[in-house]
Amino acid sequence: MSAPSTPEPLASGEAAGAAHPTAAHGTRHGTGALLPSDMDPTVFDEGFLRQLERLGLLMKQPVRGGLKGGRRSTKHGQSVEFSDYRDYALGDDLRQLDWNVYARLERLFVKLFVEEEDVTVTLLVDASPSMAFGRPEKLLFAKRAAAALGYIALAGEDRVVVSALSGRTARRQASLRGSGRVFRLLSLLSGIRLADGPTDLLAAARHAGTMLPGRGVVVLISDLLDPAADRAVRELAAQGSELVVLHVLSPDELDPPLQGDLRLVDSETGEGVDVTVDLATLDAYKARLAAWQDGLATVAAKRRASYAPVPSDLPLADLVFAELRRRRVVG
Amino acid sequence: MPFLTPLALAGLAFVPVVLAMYLLKLRRDRAVVSSTLLWQRLVTDVEANAPWQRLRRSLLLLLQLLLVVILAMLAARPFAERPAGLARDLVVVIDTSASMRATDVAPSRLDSAKAQAIDALRDLPAGGSVSVIAAGGTASVVVNATGDVAHAREAIRGIRASANVGDLGDALRLASALAARSGDAQILVATDAAAPTLPEGTLRAPVKVLRVGRAADNQAIVALAVRTAPSGLSHSAFISAANLGLKMATRRVELYADGALREVRTLVLDPQRRTDLSIDDIDDVAHPASVVEVRLTSPDPAALASGAPASTDDLALDDTAWAVVPPAALHRILLVGPGDPYLETALTYLPETELYGVKPDDYGPATHPEKFDLVIFEGWLPDALPAGPVLAIAPPTTSPLGVVSGTTENPAIGRLDASDPVLRYVDLSTLHVAQAQKLELPTWARALIPGTGAGPLLYSGTLGGRPAAVLAFLPRQSDLPLQVAFPILLANLTGELLGGSQTPADAVAPGAPVTLAIPVGASGVRVTRPDGTTDELPAPTTGAASVTFARTDELGVYVVTPIGGPNASATPSGTDGASASTPATPAPASQAASASTGASTAPTFRPADPAAPARFAVDLLSVDESSIAPGDPAKIERLGAPAAGASGQGASAGQGASAGQGAPASPTSSGTAAPAQAQSRDELWVPIVVLALAVILLEWLVYERDTVIRLRRAAAARLGRAPRPQR
Repeated sequence: MSAPSTPEPLASGEAAGAAHPTAAHGTRHGTGALLPSDMDPTVFDEGFLRQLERLGLLMKQPVRGGLKGGRRSTKHGQSVEFSDYRDYALGDDLRQLDWNVYARLERLFVKLFVEEEDVTVTLLVDASPSMAFGRPEKLLFAKRAAAALGYIALAGEDRVVVSALSGRTARRQASLRGSGRVFRLLSLLSGIRLADGPTDLLAAARHAGTMLPGRGVVVLISDLLDPAADRAVRELAAQGSELVVLHVLSPDELDPPLQGDLRLVDSETGEGVDVTVDLATLDAYKARLAAWQDGLATVAAKRRASYAPVPSDLPLADLVFAELRRRRVVG
Repeated sequence: MPFLTPLALAGLAFVPVVLAMYLLKLRRDRAVVSSTLLWQRLVTDVEANAPWQRLRRSLLLLLQLLLVVILAMLAARPFAERPAGLARDLVVVIDTSASMRATDVAPSRLDSAKAQAIDALRDLPAGGSVSVIAAGGTASVVVNATGDVAHAREAIRGIRASANVGDLGDALRLASALAARSGDAQILVATDAAAPTLPEGTLRAPVKVLRVGRAADNQAIVALAVRTAPSGLSHSAFISAANLGLKMATRRVELYADGALREVRTLVLDPQRRTDLSIDDIDDVAHPASVVEVRLTSPDPAALASGAPASTDDLALDDTAWAVVPPAALHRILLVGPGDPYLETALTYLPETELYGVKPDDYGPATHPEKFDLVIFEGWLPDALPAGPVLAIAPPTTSPLGVVSGTTENPAIGRLDASDPVLRYVDLSTLHVAQAQKLELPTWARALIPGTGAGPLLYSGTLGGRPAAVLAFLPRQSDLPLQVAFPILLANLTGELLGGSQTPADAVAPGAPVTLAIPVGASGVRVTRPDGTTDELPAPTTGAASVTFARTDELGVYVVTPIGGPNASATPSGTDGASASTPATPAPASQAASASTGASTAPTFRPADPAAPARFAVDLLSVDESSIAPGDPAKIERLGAPAAGASGQGASAGQGASAGQGAPASPTSSGTAAPAQAQSRDELWVPIVVLALAVILLEWLVYERDTVIRLRRAAAARLGRAPRPQR
């Protein structure tokens, strides 16, 4: 991300509706200190942010949270979504009795409603050295995707936690809530740096799992180029949160522009592999890649997690409005 | 498998070189990737599941080794042997006569003959030799006993068709002489056998004929002559066209005078018949023609539409003929007599004529009558007639010109032959003669104006080699001078006597040598051929009067110009070797010039146009050569000696006289040794080259397999087919 001098897309944030970032006002008044220094204004322009506001995370099942969420209408101060009946017991709120049922059956039933709560959305960004590859860089794409999803969560009154998976640990950033903290979110994401050495994705995922605040949504954005990637997915999904895996691979990894007799050197481990790359080899590589992705998708599906393979050159708008919508991650 | 150059198999030494190149450790380029996770698994999978992947390099190695072996074999020139179909020493005779230009077989008979001869050389035994003879007007040895068959083939390909009348007999005699050098020889003749001139006797080797050509239609110009009309004012062309095919044909005759179309006639030609045609007045005095060209072309579509039979012509060479109009020469006429104004006036009107007069008393050897082209005796005859043409008018006495038996009064005129050239345009129906000599028609003459009983009034003929004519009456003793017919009759008569219509510019046969006179003062002559090329012929010796030109193998008009000659031109004089003599300045013809004509007493010969170049035409004009229907090859083959043994004509082995490979046996050694059958060698380079190309292509396909597959996929995608599914 490059450092913008004037965040113009947000300067007209007055028209962004109720959920527009409050920091936009500050920016217009010259308080641009809240802006991430390396934010790319071409990614989060006004139109993109406006469309993000209309999106919310589509939860596949109700989750318990600490605060009431604002993703649904709270017109009457409580939920209006009917859930179930139970017999009346002493001490119950008489306002919850269903008098119509009582008139027909002459029995007292208490109506139960779904209570809406806020959700913690944890964004796990893989910062392993392999994420530095690709054109565009996979880590950059991961930051942008995390920013988009985090913004959606903030706009939906959800809590957002950003963690970078680096080495064998997950570095948890501050927890954010409210749409006004979007620039803080961007700043946190911009501050993620590549790990110095090899990353153990499984260990880092386990570490992140221990820091999860409870049930919520966990979004893992990684290239999963780790022998234990499937186990990491499995264990994250076992934490009780709804897991969304964005499998980011660059176009060069999807269709390597390699040919001839080569010695391929791993960017993290430095190990080399001698291979003669020809069309048959490339076809085998692609088949192997597809099988690998299919295996990860199967693992995710078994754990009721969402798995979305995305190329790093996919435009963010397509990612959010097409790919994630298609997979019902956002709605 | 036998090889011609087995040493070339040393090229197999490149096999270990190729192996060594594969054994060298491959140097790999280093490429940093994000992770080798998938690649490691891939290499494992490939090694485990697709062993042919490793064989791909081995396949390339195998193909390249195979290519090395193939190339080494190709360099070693393997061959296969089979029984030879020809003798060891072969004499190939290619007929190059004009009829071989016929196009009844594409592209021409000569090309077909050459192809057959080249194809026949495949049956030449190993170690055999080939001689090649081109049989045109004369036979010429193109290749003499070469063992290089490729050289012989190339020589045969280089043989060109001639326009000559073929002399196959000459070539066969030459071939027989060449074949006689060897005891195992054969003569191979590629010809159409059309009207061949065959030698007498038998040849000293078996003859095999490769006949070319089918039954063909041909129309030709077989004669062309240009004559000066009896009037001397214009020229007439006499054309003879022949249809040598078996069907009626319609052809158009076009006559060009100096390139300008003058006459077009459409002829319907009967098969195997000649049709003569005469075209008069092809030029005039004001625009005399120098070259006449006659073409036989396709008829107008309109003529064919009107029912004329269509025709095909398979030989175009004989459809055009040229004739050179002899240049107008200045004629000198000596009139010996008392003087007749009517006669003198009429004679002076003759074109290109100078008239001289002398009294009978002054006539004698000093008059030099031999220097005149015509001597006219009017009412008087000398004792001895001059050697040249003579016209006697009212001879008083009997002489070799005729017997005079007196005079006759008012003789009547007999029936005239209007077709006689002398009487052309002559109307004598109102002629009245007062008195005439009574003559008898000699045996050497024909009566031009016959009488009714008193003898002829005019007759003409050849007396002792000289043209001679006798007019029985003096013009002034008739009303002839008062009639229009008088000058016409006189012009026709003098024209015949002067030979103006009997000195054709005869065409030269193609290939025939021509003796060209070198003008005085010239160092030689330059001959411009019809195709525009020029040959300079310097005088062979200083002061030579003539030079021989032999490159007359192309039909058309040849132009001869002197080199260094200021005002004289060479003229062809045919093949008799006679040189054109320089006209000598004539001596004074007489002491008494005719006063009425005003003719000079000291004539000087004045050429018609000294600067004009001389021309001569080369025409085929040969019925035999234009008869292109193929002949019977058996006639030629019967000339040959019987096949001797195994080597020729596919005879069985063991019965012939030929020895094994190496030295051929002499004819006398027949039967003394068991001969080895001669073998032909067929080099097998064609299938090996094809195999090498196939291997190279396969090797390339294996090497560029990825590119080929990508192109195929791209093409399939462009054609709308679903591409291979990819994630």
